Amino acid sequence: MKLPIGWLRELIDFDCPPQVLADKLTMAGLEVEEIAQVADEIVFDVKVTPNRGDWLSVLGVARETAPPVGKAVRWPEPAVEGAKPSTSEHISIDIEDPELCGRYVGVVVRGVKIEHSPDWMQTRLIAAGMRPINNIVDITNYVMLELGQPLHAFDLHLLHDGRIIVRKARAGEKITSLDGSARELTQDMLVIADGDRPVAIAGIMGGLDSEISANTRDILIESANFAGTSIRRTSKRLGLVTESSYRFERGVDPSITLIAALRAAELLRDLAGGEVAEGVVDARPAPVEPWRIKTRPQRANAILGIDLTPEVMLRHLNGLQIKTTLEDGVLVSIVPTFRPDITAEIDIIEEIGRASGYENLPLTLPQSHKQGADSPEGLFKDKVRGILMSCGGQEVLTHSLVDSDMTELAGRGDLMIRLHNPLTEDIDSMRAMLTPNLLGVIERNQAYGCSDICIFELGKIYFRTPEGGYDEKLMIAGAVAGNMWRSAWSRPVEALESDFFLCKGVVESLLDALGITDVEFVSAADPVLHPTRSANVLVGGVRIGIIGEASPAFAEAFDLKGRAQVYELDFGALMRYAPEVLKYKALPKYPALHRHIAVVVSDDVKYERLESIITESGKGFIESVELLDVYKGEQIGPRKASLTISMVFRSHEKTLTDEEVNSVLDRVKKILADDLNASIR
Amino acid sequence: MSESDNLEELGREAIARVADAAKSSELDAIDTQYLGRKGALTLQLRKIGSLVPEQRKGFGQAVNDLKEEIQAAIRARREAIAGGETDARLAGEALDVTMPGRFYQIGRPHILAQTLSRIKDIFIRLGYDIVESPEVESYHYNFEALNYPLDHPAIDEQMSFYVTEDRLLRTHTTAYQHRQMEKRKPPIMVCTMGKCYRVEAVDATHGHTFHQVDCFCVDHGITMADLKGTLYQFAVEMFGPDTNVRFRPDFFPFVEPGAEVAVTCSICAGKGCNVCKGSGWLELAGAGMIHPNVLEGAGIDSEEYTGFAFGFGIERMPMVQHGIDDLRLFLDNDLRFLRQL
Ligand SMILES: [Zn+2]
Repeated sequence: MKLPIGWLRELIDFDCPPQVLADKLTMAGLEVEEIAQVADEIVFDVKVTPNRGDWLSVLGVARETAPPVGKAVRWPEPAVEGAKPSTSEHISIDIEDPELCGRYVGVVVRGVKIEHSPDWMQTRLIAAGMRPINNIVDITNYVMLELGQPLHAFDLHLLHDGRIIVRKARAGEKITSLDGSARELTQDMLVIADGDRPVAIAGIMGGLDSEISANTRDILIESANFAGTSIRRTSKRLGLVTESSYRFERGVDPSITLIAALRAAELLRDLAGGEVAEGVVDARPAPVEPWRIKTRPQRANAILGIDLTPEVMLRHLNGLQIKTTLEDGVLVSIVPTFRPDITAEIDIIEEIGRASGYENLPLTLPQSHKQGADSPEGLFKDKVRGILMSCGGQEVLTHSLVDSDMTELAGRGDLMIRLHNPLTEDIDSMRAMLTPNLLGVIERNQAYGCSDICIFELGKIYFRTPEGGYDEKLMIAGAVAGNMWRSAWSRPVEALESDFFLCKGVVESLLDALGITDVEFVSAADPVLHPTRSANVLVGGVRIGIIGEASPAFAEAFDLKGRAQVYELDFGALMRYAPEVLKYKALPKYPALHRHIAVVVSDDVKYERLESIITESGKGFIESVELLDVYKGEQIGPRKASLTISMVFRSHEKTLTDEEVNSVLDRVKKILADDLNASIR
Repeated sequence: MSESDNLEELGREAIARVADAAKSSELDAIDTQYLGRKGALTLQLRKIGSLVPEQRKGFGQAVNDLKEEIQAAIRARREAIAGGETDARLAGEALDVTMPGRFYQIGRPHILAQTLSRIKDIFIRLGYDIVESPEVESYHYNFEALNYPLDHPAIDEQMSFYVTEDRLLRTHTTAYQHRQMEKRKPPIMVCTMGKCYRVEAVDATHGHTFHQVDCFCVDHGITMADLKGTLYQFAVEMFGPDTNVRFRPDFFPFVEPGAEVAVTCSICAGKGCNVCKGSGWLELAGAGMIHPNVLEGAGIDSEEYTGFAFGFGIERMPMVQHGIDDLRLFLDNDLRFLRQL
């Protein structure tokens, strides 16, 4: 809210420079965000928190200025002597719904002359951020800014039957509001009606039909108090936020209603040549009186962590115009009607804290000597992050709000969570998989000129459960494209290029470092993966993730240059399978012997089968098996593969001799030949 | 010429030849010539029988001394020659050490993960348990349970993405508080961190997604001074020993009294600069004493227990510390950016 300082000075005296006042207000919770010079006027831009509607006026800011500057507020005392006929002879006011409108004051001013408002008023309105229109509208706005009470001016003769009825809209009723829009009203919206029809949307905007025009002579000023919740609901429904609705939503002082009406009448007399009708109509079906709150001084000290005497607290509260006395050691406060935010002891305690200054609070720590701990997920995240970084992975963090089209393309649209109110169409849902995001990172980095990429993300995916609930879980995903080298001059580029097996190596290293065993890779079909270059990752026979080359459809969707490899694993599953403590196995006592063989088999024989035959048939002697080379080509004939395999022979019981090793190797060769129709070289 | 003069002459000659030798094979020849079975020195020793008995002992000693001297010279010369041969070989192996190192690109934690990890460590030291918390939340936990009045503009300050009528993406990490209060018994000291979402158009300083940390503490006798001390302790550990904190009143429905917390601007050390808009302070957190309605709503007796809570955004910290000028860099994952931090 923009607040011209000259206006503030009309309601309170202060000597301090504007910057000092701004600091004082800020430290009292009314933040002065900016101090600007508009023409000859210094203007504060203050940020009013939603609980303090009473600050939305010059008067409200003056009240907050009073305690720090030690001066009293000059309340406006409008003096108008009315002439007959009286307001009540012109108009009757009925409130059908006292819960939504506790008070409605009407005053008639006759014979006004519509023209521009005086320059000083226009200047002030402009400084306060409002556009001058004509003297009548400007006066209603001026009083609203000064006292915080929104007003409305009707052309008296456009109100049918001389009636004002505050009621809920009837089914099918419509109104064309001042901004020219025709609006359909619903039955929970509060309206101001005349004898026939709605003439204003209560507290939000007047109707075009009863608007002040160049021909207007006599007017009715409305100064009313409407319930904030109703105004807010109507304002949201109509998509119509006005200075008036903004104030009602935050609460308007029910004690200012009459004063504001008279203040407007006074200005209409002085600045628009109007004759004020005698008396006002003050319909007040639900009067609000100040309320009492008791506060225990020791409770205030216990909450704030300070040690103030009840007398000091009393002085602070009275300074804020919360009239307080001390009765039997308890503070009894009479809360003024402009402070609807104060409803309980704790609110009074805040006022005591505010007035004594938060800067005066001491610095202490809670007495608990409890030790804190990270979450199991947090600890495991750190572990996984460390391993993947040592595998050359750069951690990335990507958006959880994604394009639903990508999720559909990934075949994970079924349980996807969509947003009701997306900001834009391409971020209309929650991610159901990390992989598409990582491919997006590759796409962007390739566009930035970086094509050698090895990344991973530890992040959540979100989904609906089949039972109709909502859930989210952590995933570990990674992607590799180009090569993993920072510099590899003179090395053959083809040999460095990442492929499925490099990516598999990362996953195997991760699982191995976590101590997870019984891992299998089984060919898989997944919309994000290449149909013949992808696998499910199984632990103990249970699927915990996928790995593979990005499918051609995805590579195209992300405009990838070259192939990309990805994996995505279930974080929670890994956490369950990873042993908390890794066990040490004694180092071997006896020496090892090494042998190589080249096995030529049909090229549809899986390496895994080959390896398990070797391991099984050499049990007790063969410690490990390693694949050294694979050759396919003319020398061995079509649909054949030659695999060079290295074996380490070792016994836990004795030093093996060459003869023993050769005999085991012969057995292995024979079984390979028998079981796989292999020829051994 | 006496026998001993002879011996001296022999010695000088041998040492000089050793010094002149250029290859180890020449040394082998010198060794044989002087010290071998038929070597000059061995022959000298044979003369000992022709000496008078009183000269024998001295002469024998002199021959042996000379023998050791020549052996030592040969050994030293042999080492020197071998060294030279190695040098020549090593010279042929010279590398241009200014050529680039050949290694794979190492990974780093994302800069936000680094920040979160520092924050986490500090709060664990201060006694807080770190807990996980859901991002898809109910309206109840995000607003209602936190004392947001129905149909109140306080809710507008946090425009939410809705999933259904009563389910939304949490607008603040504070949404986990009530869940934790229902689950635990005081003393409670917990902390959570993660993504939050608000309906906000994206530019250099705004985004629909941001990260927050939220901590709260409930126990006997917790005061607002404890809150201030805790945030002071955090600020000092996070931003350095000269950091101060400033509390001023602010409003959040779930706390009362409520405060906005600022810390000394680390760029200008509080003198005032562009980053802090001349104030010397940077906004850090929203904080306050947990509202009795929130405690009671979770079944905690607000007369017996009090508590404080605070929450803050993460992105601002590395932005200030590293001079990052665009919020979008964090989730864009440009490797040229990530690899700098
Ligand atoms: Zn600064």
